[in-house]
Amino acid sequence: MNPAHKAQLEAALQQVTGFIYPNEAELHWSILVVIYPYITGLVAGAFILASLEKVFKVKDLQPTYRLALLTALAFVFVAPLPLQAHLGHPERAFEIFLTPNPASAMAMFGFVYAWYLMVVLLLEIWFEFREDMVRWRQQSRGLKKLFYWLISLGSRDVSPEAVAFDHKAVYAITILGIPSAFLLHGYVGFIFGSVKANPFWSSVLMPIVFLFSAIVSGISLVLILYYVTTLIRRKTLDQKCLNALAAFLFYALIIDLSLELLDFIHRLYESEESIEILAELIFSKLFISLAIVQILLGTIGPLLLLAFALFTGLPNELKRLAFFIAAIFIQVGIFSTRWNVVIGGQLFSKSFRGLTAYKLELGGQEGLLAALGLLILPFVILYVLLKLLPPWDDARTSDTKPLEG
Amino acid sequence: MKSGKIPNQVLQVGLVFLIVGATMILVRQRFIPESFGELGHYRADAVEVNASHEIQFAGWQACAECHDDVVATKNSSFHRTLSCETCHGPAAEHAREEAEEDPPLPTGKELCLTCHRYLVSRPTGFPQIIEDRHEPAKACHSCHDPHDPVPSERPESCAGCHATISRVIAVSHHAPLDCEVCHEAEPEHFLRPRAHLPRKPFERDFCGNCHAAGIETPANFRGVDLTALDIPKIEQDTHGGTLLCWQCHYQHSPEAR
Ligand code: HEC
Ligand code: HEC
Ligand code: HEC
Ligand code: HEC
Ligand code: HEC
Ligand code: HEC
Ligand code: HEC
Ligand code: HEC
Repeated sequence: MNPAHKAQLEAALQQVTGFIYPNEAELHWSILVVIYPYITGLVAGAFILASLEKVFKVKDLQPTYRLALLTALAFVFVAPLPLQAHLGHPERAFEIFLTPNPASAMAMFGFVYAWYLMVVLLLEIWFEFREDMVRWRQQSRGLKKLFYWLISLGSRDVSPEAVAFDHKAVYAITILGIPSAFLLHGYVGFIFGSVKANPFWSSVLMPIVFLFSAIVSGISLVLILYYVTTLIRRKTLDQKCLNALAAFLFYALIIDLSLELLDFIHRLYESEESIEILAELIFSKLFISLAIVQILLGTIGPLLLLAFALFTGLPNELKRLAFFIAAIFIQVGIFSTRWNVVIGGQLFSKSFRGLTAYKLELGGQEGLLAALGLLILPFVILYVLLKLLPPWDDARTSDTKPLEG
Repeated sequence: MKSGKIPNQVLQVGLVFLIVGATMILVRQRFIPESFGELGHYRADAVEVNASHEIQFAGWQACAECHDDVVATKNSSFHRTLSCETCHGPAAEHAREEAEEDPPLPTGKELCLTCHRYLVSRPTGFPQIIEDRHEPAKACHSCHDPHDPVPSERPESCAGCHATISRVIAVSHHAPLDCEVCHEAEPEHFLRPRAHLPRKPFERDFCGNCHAAGIETPANFRGVDLTALDIPKIEQDTHGGTLLCWQCHYQHSPEAR
């Protein structure tokens, strides 16, 4: 055995309590697998927020519609990277496209992802921005002109009929996109929920719980981004829009919390033989990340804060600040939700008689730095996207500018 | 854009999708191995690749041809379920008389300890030792014949293997009762315990033989004279409902007072 590995294993074994099987001392799904559902959740959540404006005609949310779409796009590019980095043979990943295996949920990821990226997100963004892209091309020169020509696929028709068609297309794609976004993240929950051998994961509620936490995380991320980008651009925040965002966030959070409570009570009531080790897990190794961070700081705290800000006559400045703080806490909470599911689910032995520990490395392919890199990358992509396809109303070129609210 | 025609932008997007789709199909043709899917969701030729690997293990039947004595001893011993090559390593070459060296004799402790070191996860009753306390200075095979390992002596009583139960029962109210009073054990249980499990009482009436009110204490219960004992009695029909007696009283150390 390689001495470095041996030292690592010995360190892990120090943390083991009770009895575990020999192959359980080291966790196989690392922090990268935590990041994967976190990021896909943000994608699905941001998209669902965007569709609220389009399909359900929530006009107050109009200022965040394009921002939400671009956010979803920036994160969806990064979504498969943690999995890729986690693979022993990343170069073989494309084979799941060549020989589709419908009997394997994991192997279908490529298709779920490709469908969502190509058919939903890219198409919707393309139709949404097409008119602007054509006009931006007309206004710019040099490389930039070429770029806009390329991404508009050479299209130049900006007649009212063509633009009207774009709007219809966007509407149709959004309708198709909502179930697709549900599919994308419900699928991630399904992967965990269908692991029969793991009582912490195996639950039909898993996809639904994942979905609602995704919606919560997506809305709160767009709220943060809207807040920050508007301040940086020195524009005024649209209070109506923020109120609507916060209200949706509040309701989604309530549903999310009730689903998790339902799951919890259901497990407690069923009291299968795993309940004792799970209770031990929750009260020892997961206490801080689950009870304190996920539930107290990440859910109850923001709920109270949002309720207070929404339903009392707080001055607008304070309201906004409260929304912003709540959104930040929600992000932290959702991240620890993912952590608790992925890492927590591997901390107890299938013998139900012992617990192991997860040691996060700093460097290395699956270390903390790689994880941080993958968390920062979507923001870099988003920055570039915002530069190339400014989603702000004042960047719109046409006379179809929406009325100021 | 003229009405009634397919809008331009749909054609443009459609073209992109067409190109992507066509590339996929081309790539598929180029990269999927020919024999993929013939037998299942894998490359059928992989079976041949694996079949072409040189055979390393001969199986114990092959050893019998020349080492019939060892095979005979081993197959009637505690190690009868083990294959020769589990301990001696792959020996196909040797069995074909092609090897220059004989298979190694695994005389180290580590081999035996892989299976016999104490581990909580092993089933109760599987022979296990704690290496530091079990003759640490000597090699295992100096006392145990690896082909016919017997604990140097066959235990005389149930206590040899069921030490805990015996110790518990010895200081309990059931101390006067031998194990055989409640368990009929064939002699084979001493040799191949798991293959010949003794019987356990399975109904309330069994305890009633001695404890039911109104029943005379039997003078001879499976060879034990109980008349001298003061056996506490209960109303069997009502006492404890329909539960089995040992759901409340631990049979090997019953307590009521
Ligand atoms: C064709 C006959 C033959 C077959 C089949 C055969 N052996 Fe042997 N084996 C021998 C001979 C001959 C020796 C050398 C005898 C000696 O040195 O005393 C030997 C020696 C050995 C030794 C070393 C003995 C020592 O004292 O060093 C081992 C261990 C052994 N065989 C194991 C096996 C196993 C396991 C198999 C079955 C996979 C096997 N043999 C099959 C003929 C055979
Ligand atoms: C539990 C492990 C184990 C198994 C199973 C086992 N052996 Fe051995 N065998 C040993 C060890 C250890 C020695 C060395 C004993 C010694 O040096 O006293 C040995 C020695 C031998 C020898 C040389 C000495 C002798 O006793 O003749 C032969 C030949 C042999 N084994 C063949 C076999 C064959 C054939 C089988 C299968 C029927 C087999 N062994 C199964 C562990 C094993
Ligand atoms: C591959 C696993 C394995 C290895 C290696 C192995 N054994 Fe065993 N051993 C067994 C099994 C299985 C039994 C039978 C247990 C039973 O019947 O409940 C057994 C039984 C025994 C027994 C009988 C104990 C009893 O009271 O029932 C002894 C003694 C023993 N082995 C000693 C050894 C020695 C010494 C070695 C090293 C040469 C060795 N074993 C290597 C699996 C192994
Ligand atoms: C000095 C002789 C001696 C040596 C060396 C020795 N044993 Fe034993 N072993 C015995 C005796 C005697 C018994 C039966 C009494 C007992 O259970 O302690 C026994 C019992 C066993 C049992 C059965 C235990 C049970 O609970 O059924 C196993 C397994 C065993 N030995 C394995 C080993 C292994 C493995 C080694 C080498 C690490 C080894 N022995 C070394 C003498 C020895
Ligand atoms: C050679 C060791 C050995 C001796 C001696 C021995 N047993 Fe056992 N006994 C075992 C093992 C091994 C088991 C199986 C334990 C298991 O499967 O967990 C067993 C199981 C049992 C069981 C449980 C059966 C069941 O269905 O669960 C009873 C009862 C029992 N023994 C009674 C006795 C009695 C009574 C004696 C004395 C007459 C005795 N044993 C002597 C090794 C022994
Ligand atoms: C008063 C009757 C009685 C006597 C005496 C008795 N047993 Fe039992 N034993 C039982 C009953 C009843 C069960 C079944 C319990 C159950 O099914 O849960 C049992 C179960 C067992 C078992 C399997 C379950 C366990 O606890 O591991 C073993 C082994 C066993 N007895 C061994 C012994 C041995 C050895 C002795 C003698 C030292 C003994 N018993 C004496 C009544 C008795
Ligand atoms: C629901 C649990 C339960 C069940 C089942 C049960 N008992 Fe009891 N038993 C008790 C309790 C509690 C006591 C002590 C209090 C008392 O005397 O009622 C007791 C006391 C006894 C006593 C001592 C009486 C005395 O006067 O000292 C005997 C003997 C006894 N039980 C035998 C049996 C037998 C035989 C069975 C099966 C037919 C059985 N028990 C089933 C709970 C139970
Ligand atoms: C062969 C007769 C016999 C059988 C069968 C028997 N017992 Fe007993 N039992 C006794 C004797 C003898 C005593 C204790 C007398 C004494 O304490 O001096 C006793 C005592 C008890 C006591 C009282 C303990 C106390 O604290 O005083 C309980 C409870 C009990 N047995 C339960 C059971 C159960 C349960 C079974 C069935 C698994 C059972 N007995 C089967 C003979 C028997």
